[in-house]
Amino acid sequence: MNDDRTYESAVGRIEEIIRRLDSGDAGLRETLDLVAEGRELVEYCAAELDAVSKGLDELKLDELVTRLQGAQRSDDHV
Amino acid sequence: MEQAAPNSAPRSSLPGPYPVGSYAAQLKRRLQEFAHIQLVGEVWGFRAARARVYFELRDAHGALPCSMWRTDFDQLGVPLADGLRVVAGGGCDYYPGSATSSPSFSFVVTELRLEGEGDLLVQLQRLRRKLHDEGLFERQKQLALPALPRTIGVVTGEQGKARDDVLAGLRRRGWAGRLVWAFAPVQDRHAAPRIAAALRELAAIAEVEVVIVARGGGSLADLFAFCDEGLCRTVALLRVPVISSVGHHTDRTLIDDVAAISCSTPTHAAQAAVAIDCGAARAELTALARRLNGHGRGAVVSRARVLAQLARAPSAHVARNRRTLHQLTRELRASARRTALRGVELGRVHGLVLSRSSARALGPERIRRGRELERLALALAAHDPQRTLARGYALVADRDGAPLTSAAAARDAGHVALRFHDGSVRADIDPDDAREHDPSAPPVAGPDDDR
Repeated sequence: MNDDRTYESAVGRIEEIIRRLDSGDAGLRETLDLVAEGRELVEYCAAELDAVSKGLDELKLDELVTRLQGAQRSDDHV
Repeated sequence: MEQAAPNSAPRSSLPGPYPVGSYAAQLKRRLQEFAHIQLVGEVWGFRAARARVYFELRDAHGALPCSMWRTDFDQLGVPLADGLRVVAGGGCDYYPGSATSSPSFSFVVTELRLEGEGDLLVQLQRLRRKLHDEGLFERQKQLALPALPRTIGVVTGEQGKARDDVLAGLRRRGWAGRLVWAFAPVQDRHAAPRIAAALRELAAIAEVEVVIVARGGGSLADLFAFCDEGLCRTVALLRVPVISSVGHHTDRTLIDDVAAISCSTPTHAAQAAVAIDCGAARAELTALARRLNGHGRGAVVSRARVLAQLARAPSAHVARNRRTLHQLTRELRASARRTALRGVELGRVHGLVLSRSSARALGPERIRRGRELERLALALAAHDPQRTLARGYALVADRDGAPLTSAAAARDAGHVALRFHDGSVRADIDPDDAREHDPSAPPVAGPDDDR
């Protein structure tokens, strides 16, 4: 997966693909490739939406820092 | 000044007595002549009426009743409350009262600002220019703002309403990801370094993609922590985009200039942090996925349909030609039948026409032919030898009846038959006839020859 990919870039690419397919200019091989790419992008976007739909997870910075520092110390011991 | 009528009371060394109304009017004029100045003091007893606002300006040594037109006061937008130190500019005025209303004195305020605000504004402008010249206003604006961050950091006061507003904004977007709260004082002189520290700590967490700095409304003095140079430099150099929502845009703090985005309310800041509506985005994504699938299916099905059509083409071609042939055969038969029927009909019509025309033509023709026949009969009769014989001529023939047309033939025949109109007689030719060769001699057979 592309590391630079973002939700908006993925949606932008899907819309671009749809425009190309709507034009009717794509041949069979290109159509199938574009559809496959589009499906993969849709899955990525759906995963991104799922990640922010599971329920609000509220943390306090102090607690989070403490937790992270604890994790760091245990890593150092190992 | 108009003097009142003298009476019999004990005499006074003071001038007058004068009518109080005249004196009050004079006092009003004199007070209005006082120079217009600025006063500084604390506000007490603030109350707003329909047309004016009233308050007292106090300090340790005295107080003045003040009033201000309501429209002017509202335009200033200065939130007055008891105890606030303000600078009020204006002049004295006196209401002389009447028989039914009490007189009153007031310092009529035409300008009003919080004490120290002017100094603050000067400081603020100087710092703003400095940060701008260093290009620090642009740093944050160059950062990419994610449309759908998974983790959002929020710096705000723990007890403030801003916290609830941020949550409300996120709910509106349908966002329910991870929220890291960094609570910090947002008003006193310790606020700026604490806020800056919280921002640095939030930015140090890799998952945090955007940070909101939120605080509710307040005076510029209240919000001055957000104009701190150190805080603004921290924000400008932060790796994550900062969305500020400090005050309600009546006063623009420096953090608003430095931040990637500045919003008027914490709710708007939350909505700016999550640029898309998650519910709508899901619906849109479903629609896009459906269209993609449609294209994928359509591309294969339409081509399969074309292939099937091509596969059927030869047999369809033969069938089409067969149908054409049958059709032509049927048309040919029908045409032949029509032609035969038309021939019969035409013959019948011709027969009828002929019979009718022959019937019409036969009568006169028969008469014409009868007359012609009669003419021919007459012509024929005119050449009948019998008629010549009747006129006295005789026909000479040999024994066999063949006509003899010369004297030599008659001599050679010897015996001849003379045929008259009423019968024939036999005669013998004299062999010594001397006039054999005399053609001028008259003929033997007839006395008069009219031919």
